[in-house]
Amino acid sequence: MDRLSLEVETGAICAFLGPNGAGKSTTVKMLTGLLKPTSGEAVVAGLNVASEPLAVKRIIGVLPENLGLFDALTVEEHLYLSGPIYGLSRGETRARTDQLLRALALENGRTTFIEHCSYGMRKKTALAMALLHNPRVLFLDEPFEGIDPVTSKTLRGLLTTVAARGVTVFLTSHILTIVERLATQIVMIRDGRAVWNSRPDELPKSLEDVYFDLVEPPIEEDLPWLGCSLS
Amino acid sequence: MTYRDLQKLGSLAGNNFFLFVFLLLGQSGGFLQVLLGLLLLFPFSSDPLRSIPSERLQQWPLTPRIAFALRLASVWFSPVAWITVGLIVWTKSFQFAATFVGISALFYALGSLFTWVPARAPRLNILSHVPDFGGSIGGLVRKNARELLSILDPYAGLVLTLSATAYRFLSSRPEPDAFMILSMLVALTLSTYALCLFGLDTASGFTRYLLFPIRGWQILLAKDVAFLTVLLILVAPLHLLAGLAAGLMALTVGHHSSVRYRVPQTHWRFTGGAPLTSGLLQAFLMFSAGTLVARTNAWVLLPCVALFAASLWYFGRDMDQAGLRSDA
Repeated sequence: MDRLSLEVETGAICAFLGPNGAGKSTTVKMLTGLLKPTSGEAVVAGLNVASEPLAVKRIIGVLPENLGLFDALTVEEHLYLSGPIYGLSRGETRARTDQLLRALALENGRTTFIEHCSYGMRKKTALAMALLHNPRVLFLDEPFEGIDPVTSKTLRGLLTTVAARGVTVFLTSHILTIVERLATQIVMIRDGRAVWNSRPDELPKSLEDVYFDLVEPPIEEDLPWLGCSLS
Repeated sequence: MTYRDLQKLGSLAGNNFFLFVFLLLGQSGGFLQVLLGLLLLFPFSSDPLRSIPSERLQQWPLTPRIAFALRLASVWFSPVAWITVGLIVWTKSFQFAATFVGISALFYALGSLFTWVPARAPRLNILSHVPDFGGSIGGLVRKNARELLSILDPYAGLVLTLSATAYRFLSSRPEPDAFMILSMLVALTLSTYALCLFGLDTASGFTRYLLFPIRGWQILLAKDVAFLTVLLILVAPLHLLAGLAAGLMALTVGHHSSVRYRVPQTHWRFTGGAPLTSGLLQAFLMFSAGTLVARTNAWVLLPCVALFAASLWYFGRDMDQAGLRSDA
């Protein structure tokens, strides 16, 4: 990252956009304490990530890039493990687990070991872990990639609802159509630098057009052996 | 036979129990030789079809019968199997070699069951019955106990425990000191794992450790509780206190290399690749503490607990300050 300066208001849904390798996941890692910035500081809900790491970790829910799951546990056991660590009682953990697994359509696979789950199931398990303890801030790294349309719709509704009651959502995504409908703040980065930061209604044209103009132009290439031309 | 298969022998390098058996080979009876043969054989006795991505395997025209035959035959693709059998015929007898083949076939069948059955019938996965240990880190302890039970070290310990228990009941005058020594030997079978407590954790798992709002010592303690629980179950029929003292020493030394040098391990193999100097120090302290506790009284456990607690605190703080060494 290169002198990235960014502020997200409480209750906002901030979409952090950029091409592969631009630094989106690195930013999420620095904001969630997975990576130490070489300079500068990260503050989440008024807490400094470097000096108060445990306090920050208690109030955030994270869907990390590599999902953060254990092969030796089943889907439901991930939630049973997570709840008590965040201070939930066993009864409360079980009740919330049941509800989340139903909401994310994971009910049928709840006793499946993670190593035997599909990518979509693993992603939904990690999403459930991020939501279980009702965090004040959600960091979601590409939450819509690899999940089915029904869960995607459920998740969009869920994020809108929690944001309305004050939960801040910071997400990265490549699916611009979803971002356009969901986000209340849009930040675009290129080569580690922010090149756009505004509300969606402040975009001069469609999100896709702004993205192509500022971040990454579409590729133009002839592939005659495939009988097609990209332009 | 591929170069990759040959590399599997590396899993035995740096395994405390393997080195111990190897050193005693000249003076040992047949039992330890069979054990060494099994230790050598196991790195090759994995399911050969597991190393092929499942998506690719589904496209191959393998009938279930051919796949089963491949799995059964895989252990005998290994030249180590033939060399071991040849050595046993040369140094012992043909009958002894036949016994070895029988025992290794049994072990192999069990190993195949542990890997093949859970994927198809999750309810039959015995590891799924490991309970939650309660408390805020009880779920982590359960995960760690399952990981520990998915390597071969505790099963080598189980063979020793069962043999010793049979000796206790079948011998007319069992040697009293034998159980103290066997208890520490069982601890030795697990001790290499104590040097690589994070060896079975993936990058994904490391990320989760770093995201949880818990301190380094708690992550380490969850590993230790799983280790001590399995160890105490194994040494309960032998000499519980000597085993406990040895286990505490194994962990006290093991925290250092576990936290500072991550040595990746493979499921259903023996733990290996741990630093030799740490292994030697570990073995010395384990046998000293175990013998002292057994020969004097249980109060000797107190300094063992104190050393363990100091190591837990120090290396837990180390994890908090530097993070876990991982590629997360």
